[in-house]
Parts: sequence; structure tokens; C-alpha cells
Amino acid sequence: MRRVGGSHRGLDMWLMQRASAVYMALFLPFFLVCALAAGPLDYAAWHGLFASPAMKVATFLFVAAMLAHAWIGLREIFIDYLHCARCTLLRLALYFAFAVLYLGCLVWTVDILWNVR
Amino acid sequence: MHRPRPFFLDLFAIRLPIGGVVSILHRASGAFLALLIPLLLYGLMLSLRSPEDFARLRAFVDSGPVWLISLGLLWALLHHLFAGLRHLGFDIGWGEARQRARLTAKLALAAALLLVGLVALLDLLNSGATP
Repeated sequence: MRRVGGSHRGLDMWLMQRASAVYMALFLPFFLVCALAAGPLDYAAWHGLFASPAMKVATFLFVAAMLAHAWIGLREIFIDYLHCARCTLLRLALYFAFAVLYLGCLVWTVDILWNVR
Repeated sequence: MHRPRPFFLDLFAIRLPIGGVVSILHRASGAFLALLIPLLLYGLMLSLRSPEDFARLRAFVDSGPVWLISLGLLWALLHHLFAGLRHLGFDIGWGEARQRARLTAKLALAAALLLVGLVALLDLLNSGATP
């Protein structure tokens, strides 16, 4: 049951931070090229960019990677700066609050993207 | 024998090394971006919802102060990206020697600033050409 207490999870998060970074670093130039190829970005071109299921999925994965990356990054910052005796509870509360916020964002992203028809 | 440790606190002479500057900006830009995610998703929603909302969002971003904040946001993204690529290099053992680490730190800092300057310039020229 050691993993429940958080032991050994640092390596998982370290790896997740790299994996999400690599996906984002690949997606961003790809997306930029697609956007530039779509011509002058008026509403129709921008809207059309997200029309295909492939682009929806790729963008959704980007947002998912970004949210995971942001959560782990913020956790890192909280660990670095909040380490007083009573800060453990505060840190846990912050992890929880951002997990709820970001999971909400993830569901919202599905709604945003799949409403593009 | 007890020897006092060297003591140097001339705050006008102490400087963070370039790697430290890039590193703390990596953290600051990351925190900034992380906190802005809900706002960015709101922008994405508006931009895709209807032509009217798209136009409203564009007018909002083009207004002076928001335009500057947007450039700041773009800088945060680019700096975080370049500093992050530098870290991925370190992970596979590339660029860890001091000279090269300093060079890539300077490159990451300069590339993000230059690209933001370029985008700002293009945007100004573009909005000047088609008012």
C-alpha cells in the first residue's frame, strides 16, 4: 500500500511531465502549420480547422496533456514553497482544488470541440 | 580551525547566472499559463461558438491593454516551450556542459523575445494595412 501514501509517485509524475511536454511540443508546430495553411483566419477558416474528427481528437489530447502538465507543475511549485508544519493540509487542498478545476476544464473541452460541426 | 565562510551581499553586484534567469522565468511563465487555462478555454469557446462571438473576441484582443497582455501570454508560452526543450535536452544528457548550457539558456531567452517582437510587428503592420 505504499503507493497510496504517494511514495514512488515522483518518478511517474516526472515521466508524465516529459511525455505531455513532448506531445505539446509536437502538436503546437503542427497546429501552427495547419492554421497558416488555412489562409487568413476569419471565422469560417478557424471553425473549419476543428471540423475533422482527427483535429478534434488531436486538440483534445493537447488540452489533456496541458492540464496534466499544469497540475504536476503547480504541485511542484506548492511543494517547493509550502512546507511549514501546517502546510500539508493546505497543499492537499490545493491539489484537490486544481484537480477538480482541471477535470472540469477537460470535460468542458469535449463540449467546446464536439460542438464544432 | 574555524574559518568564516566568504560573505558577499552586494545586492547591486549579485546577479543570477543566465541559467538561473531562464529557470525562474520557466517557473513563473508556467504558473502564469497554468492559472490562465480556464480563461484560454473560455476564449476558445467564444472563438468557435459563433461568428459574432469570434468578432467580439478579436475586437477585445485588439484593444490596447489586452493586446499587450496577449503578447505577454505568447511570450510566456514561447519561453516555457524553449526552456522546456532545453530541459528535455538535459534529460538525454545533451547540453549539460557549462558553456553549452549557457549558450542554450541565452538562445531560449532570446528566441522567445525575438518571436514575440516579430509577431507584434507583423500584427501592427497587418492592422495598419487593413484598418
